[in-house]
Amino acid sequence: MTIARAPRPLRLRPTWSSVFETGLGARVYPYLMVFPAVLLVLGVVVYPVLSGISWSFYDVTLRKLNSGSFTFVGFKNFERVFADPVFVRASINTLVWVILNVVAQLGLGLALALLLHRPVRGIGFFRSGILVPWVVPSVVAVLTWRWMYDPSVGIVNEMLVRLGIIDSYRPWLGDTATSLYAVTVESIWKGTPFVMLLLLAALQLVPRSILEAASMDGASGWRKLWYVILPQIRVSFAIAAVLTFILTVNNFNAIWLMTEGGPLNSSEILFTLAYKYGFQRFDLGLASAVATMLFVGLVIATTLYLKLMQAREAD
Amino acid sequence: MSLSVASSTTAAATKVSAQRKVRPKLALKRVLLYVSLWVAFVWSVFPFYWMIATSLRAKADIFRRPPSIVPQGITLQNYVDLLVSAHFWRFAMNSLILTLSVTLISVFISVTAGYAMARHRFKGSVMLPLFMLYGQMFPPVLLLIPFYVQLRYLGWLDSLYGLIPVYLSYMLPLCVWLMRGFFSQVPHSLEDAARMDGCTRWQAFWKVILPMAQPGIVAVATWVMIHSWNEFLYASTFILSEKNRTLPLGLSKLIGQYTTDWGVLMAGGVVTAAPIVLVFFFLQKHLVAGVGGGAVKG
Amino acid sequence: MKMRRMRGLIAATLLAGLSAPALADNIVMWVNGPLASSPDAPIYAELKAFEAATGHTVEVQAVPHMEMERNLFVALSSGAGPDVMALDIAWVAGLADAGLLADITAQTAPIAAEYQPGPLASGRYDQKQYALPLYTNNVALFVNDRMLAEAGIKKAPSNWAEFRDAAVAMTNKDKQTYGVSFGGNRMGAFQLYSFIWQNGGEIVDEAGKVRVGEPAAEEAVDFLAKLYTQSRAMPDSVLTAGNWDEVHAPFIQERAGMVVTGDWALAAFTKGNPNLKFSVHPLPAGVKSATVIGGYDLAIKAGSKVEKPAFELLRWLTGSRSIALMQKYERLSATAAATSPEAIAALPKQLQPFMAQASSGRARPVVAQWTQIHSDVFANVWDAVIRGKPAKDAMAEANTAITGLLEKK
Repeated sequence: MTIARAPRPLRLRPTWSSVFETGLGARVYPYLMVFPAVLLVLGVVVYPVLSGISWSFYDVTLRKLNSGSFTFVGFKNFERVFADPVFVRASINTLVWVILNVVAQLGLGLALALLLHRPVRGIGFFRSGILVPWVVPSVVAVLTWRWMYDPSVGIVNEMLVRLGIIDSYRPWLGDTATSLYAVTVESIWKGTPFVMLLLLAALQLVPRSILEAASMDGASGWRKLWYVILPQIRVSFAIAAVLTFILTVNNFNAIWLMTEGGPLNSSEILFTLAYKYGFQRFDLGLASAVATMLFVGLVIATTLYLKLMQAREAD
Repeated sequence: MSLSVASSTTAAATKVSAQRKVRPKLALKRVLLYVSLWVAFVWSVFPFYWMIATSLRAKADIFRRPPSIVPQGITLQNYVDLLVSAHFWRFAMNSLILTLSVTLISVFISVTAGYAMARHRFKGSVMLPLFMLYGQMFPPVLLLIPFYVQLRYLGWLDSLYGLIPVYLSYMLPLCVWLMRGFFSQVPHSLEDAARMDGCTRWQAFWKVILPMAQPGIVAVATWVMIHSWNEFLYASTFILSEKNRTLPLGLSKLIGQYTTDWGVLMAGGVVTAAPIVLVFFFLQKHLVAGVGGGAVKG
Repeated sequence: MKMRRMRGLIAATLLAGLSAPALADNIVMWVNGPLASSPDAPIYAELKAFEAATGHTVEVQAVPHMEMERNLFVALSSGAGPDVMALDIAWVAGLADAGLLADITAQTAPIAAEYQPGPLASGRYDQKQYALPLYTNNVALFVNDRMLAEAGIKKAPSNWAEFRDAAVAMTNKDKQTYGVSFGGNRMGAFQLYSFIWQNGGEIVDEAGKVRVGEPAAEEAVDFLAKLYTQSRAMPDSVLTAGNWDEVHAPFIQERAGMVVTGDWALAAFTKGNPNLKFSVHPLPAGVKSATVIGGYDLAIKAGSKVEKPAFELLRWLTGSRSIALMQKYERLSATAAATSPEAIAALPKQLQPFMAQASSGRARPVVAQWTQIHSDVFANVWDAVIRGKPAKDAMAEANTAITGLLEKK
């Protein structure tokens, strides 16, 4: 608001930043702005990632690391990974895990954002409360959930029994049929607030006039959501989707600290499998092969999704 | 809180005329709204409550069956044990320094880079953001060894400043990406108007665009803050000495080889989470204030 | 007085023998978190004494048990890492196999008799000594005295049949009480090993042959699993319990009458339920008695610049002083002297049964692939069998899997 009334420098008054208005300065300006980011990313992202990928083609085990000489083995690590039946199981689990998490987090996040966007009394209280899961250190959060799921003193069991949903305590994390879903619930709990925050921030940017105009036209709630609100926050929604996707695939703490991928690999995802290969078997070649496949999968999925979004934007 | 209430009253005022006709339906809607808000609230807060409740229980109460939702007796013994046994203040200071540095650096870098990517066409302006994002997709655990080698080469192992670039690698790509998204949602017209009025590009960015993107900046800053505050894997691998430990490392020390004192661990969790929850309550108001004024209205 | 003089003597001989000109070296040591949990932990005083006696300095870095193996791996494989490290005995083989630990066979040969044979063996890989035992532990049978009496049983079970009968007798569906609390996955696997050995079974024998497919091993697994699958004498926590707290919980709550665990449970039980009346007994014997050894070893990094002082430190911490030092932690020294009747009598009462059965303690196979055998193969065997897979099939598969792992090298 204040911006509109603030006195502005006159058109021709030169300041130090005038350098960027014309000529070389203008051309350099954007590069200058991205330069620090690019520099950092080159140093701390590109190199480690490339070395991680390259390991998947070498025989990198504890012994080899110590002697410092790796042998190139081509696709042998990948063959070994494919030969492991656990890999198939972990791939399927990863798919289930990602779909459940992304759909639920985006859906709930959007619902919460719409709910919390309303300027009603005490909304700050609710906003703060609902963001709590995101703020709690993930290690502690996971251990707390584990404790809550406990088959003998877990409050989850106690509450479900009292509500009459189950009649006796169950080992949620110990049953091969429920372990993955039990962890998913924790992960949704932890991840949704951030999606909500992103979408809420985007909703705040939607000009109120647009919403009011839609209300005037007598658009129903759902129509307004679909035709007015969603297109306005489309970019943020896409960002939230991509981020949730990446963070879910790479969510290690939740599964590792609750089930370690068990029982009987029923909650194994590719990430935990890679960790087991790397830091329990100390076979980094094998671990990197899994990680590389995961990486390629993520890159393809994200690129496709973003291209789709762009195509729709172009329409 | 006051700001959100203020904005709620103005908003309510604008709606009043339209709402008059549909009062009964509206009352029902209001009830529904509050019911769903409470459900969401309880669902979100309950595990945190459980943490606090466990931290306040006497040791013998923790294993009681059936579990009681409210502790049967409240004791601060766990907190006393926690604060006596470890250098929690030291850990908190380390976490604070680390978090602030990482947050400042990444907000600064991601704001400039995000803006340039959203507003300017230059070589690589399309591919660069995507490329950055890709960097985020490699499972972080497998980057431990390359990072270790790098840090060792630089002599930055076991130091807080050594963790800064590592954390940046883990935060920055997403931050840049997020900021780019926020900037692209700020209407072009505002910047154009400012430029018409004689602002240089930099001034338009600094005085017009940046305040507009405030919710985005706050979101990014909170994201970085929370993740650096809670980061565990890298810190636990690269930090060795007691004096450089961060809070999550202090926490993991409480998980024993054989048995864990759950009461103390949960107390540690509460102590670790408390500062960030408080900071967040403060920022949350700003998140509302940044837009509550309706700067975007035009 | 006498003790002190003796210690001084040992230090003096060490000094004279190992580093004639006492150069002041700085030794970096990683210890497992619990030993250095606070600034006044006994280990610091002990190291002060070492520094005073030798002139070296020791830089201690406490690493939580959970992260120790990974951190050692990352650090050592990048050519860094501590000069002296505390290792869970199960990790020695893997690191030794990779050539990351210094061979101390020559220095330890003359003093081998000073250590208990089981723990000492845990530091030996491929006929070479790589580590000395810092402390040892083993598992015993904990019995809830009240529940046992109420089930009408006079004395704690001392063999398998009595063990099963007691477990069944204490199981009561209406009161939701169970006979014995047991762990799932790796916890359960760890508890299993003692029973396999008791039954005369082997996991990997001296000659390196895998023998888990043999009837003796298979019967042991079957025996324990049936306590859950048939007699329902174990609580459901056996399906999930992935840490000792979850194994202990039913026992603390007096819902399970027995539990197989180690000395680390003593403090947890007293804290968790001060009114719990329990007693500690040797594990019920099968064909013979056996218990699995755990604990930590100390080893030196291969190529450490301060190898000699590092060995002095190893000797200092694992030698005769360790009896007093470990008693401060309520843990068991692994020296042979600690098993003498007088030394046992000097221990806190509840620790005595553990030391008394130390002679039947056995180290897990010291093979490089042990971590993987334990957490990939055995953990899954146990998980599968308690979920209804016949023990015979599971163990036959495990036999093939372990053989495959050992051959791969």
